[in-house]
Amino acid sequence: MHELAIVDALIEQVRQEVDQAGAAGPVTRVELVVGRFSGVCPDSLRFAFEMLAPGTIVEGAELALLQPPAIARCRTCGAQTEIEDLAGACPRCESPEVSLEGSRDLVLESIELEDHQDQTHEDRCRQEDPQGQ
Amino acid sequence: MKIVAAKKILKANEQLADQNRARFGAAGVFVVNVVGSPGCGKTTLLESLFGHLRGRLAPAVIEGDIAGSVDAERIDALGVPVVQINTEGACHLDATMVAAAAEGFDFKAIDLLIVENVGNLVCTAGFDLGEHLRVVLLSVPEGDDKLIKYPAIFQASHALVITKLDLKPHTNFSVEGAIAGMRRLAPQAEVFEVSALRGEGVARLADWLVEKARPVVGR
Repeated sequence: MHELAIVDALIEQVRQEVDQAGAAGPVTRVELVVGRFSGVCPDSLRFAFEMLAPGTIVEGAELALLQPPAIARCRTCGAQTEIEDLAGACPRCESPEVSLEGSRDLVLESIELEDHQDQTHEDRCRQEDPQGQ
Repeated sequence: MKIVAAKKILKANEQLADQNRARFGAAGVFVVNVVGSPGCGKTTLLESLFGHLRGRLAPAVIEGDIAGSVDAERIDALGVPVVQINTEGACHLDATMVAAAAEGFDFKAIDLLIVENVGNLVCTAGFDLGEHLRVVLLSVPEGDDKLIKYPAIFQASHALVITKLDLKPHTNFSVEGAIAGMRRLAPQAEVFEVSALRGEGVARLADWLVEKARPVVGR
């Protein structure tokens, strides 16, 4: 759908997470969980990441996309069924009390950073960390 | 060093959407996000709907379009307060845009805020605006296969309104097929069959909206 806007939001979120952890760059790897029904196309994400990463905290980082199977959890019969197509009912008992939690989401799972003190310091200066930490 | 974040991207939008919902709810304003393809009849349905709501709910509209204000002018002609958002290329509205546009209304004077989203069955599915209900339109000329092709938006909606039913004799549209598709994707959703031009089926939709709005509006 709107992968450029999503990657833009992703990069900002990575920056905030790194700031909050009191760390700096460079980021070496960003791991995303792409829900089966998130409506996001992995190839477009990669393309947008390549376009937007230069000059940001994720420049040169690897983008890892994890695509777990979608699970429908039924609150009526308790079944947990892997589903291929979006559906609003339990494939086993057809109850509508089913949750597809997670399968619609796009989650920033983890960020890996290079451990290098000098570079960390330089990077902090370059980013003009408002916390001054 | 590894930072485990485990946070949703677009979380910022979701948080703002929740704030919008809380704010609208506290002001007694019931908010409906109306989505559907370009040309599916969103504005025409609203024109007909407002006639049926007269004296029951005081509506206002946020119009989302990539450019222009033709829809807003149509709503304005009915004497309904309207704010136009031009997304200038963006394919959907987000919670920030709705929060800003809502500033243009006197919340004391309205109790139903309709957000007519940008015509799009894809991107609009991913953005919560802070609405209480999401209503998706599907017009007869589009074909009943749209539920199969664009499942996410239908699955995330509280009601399906099949529009332009007056054109059905000229198409191979299957109302039964569309209803079956909606039952599969969103078993608890309501389905309405309307012809807004002929005014058919709109009264039932109006009654349903009034009923749904009651807990928020308080009358």
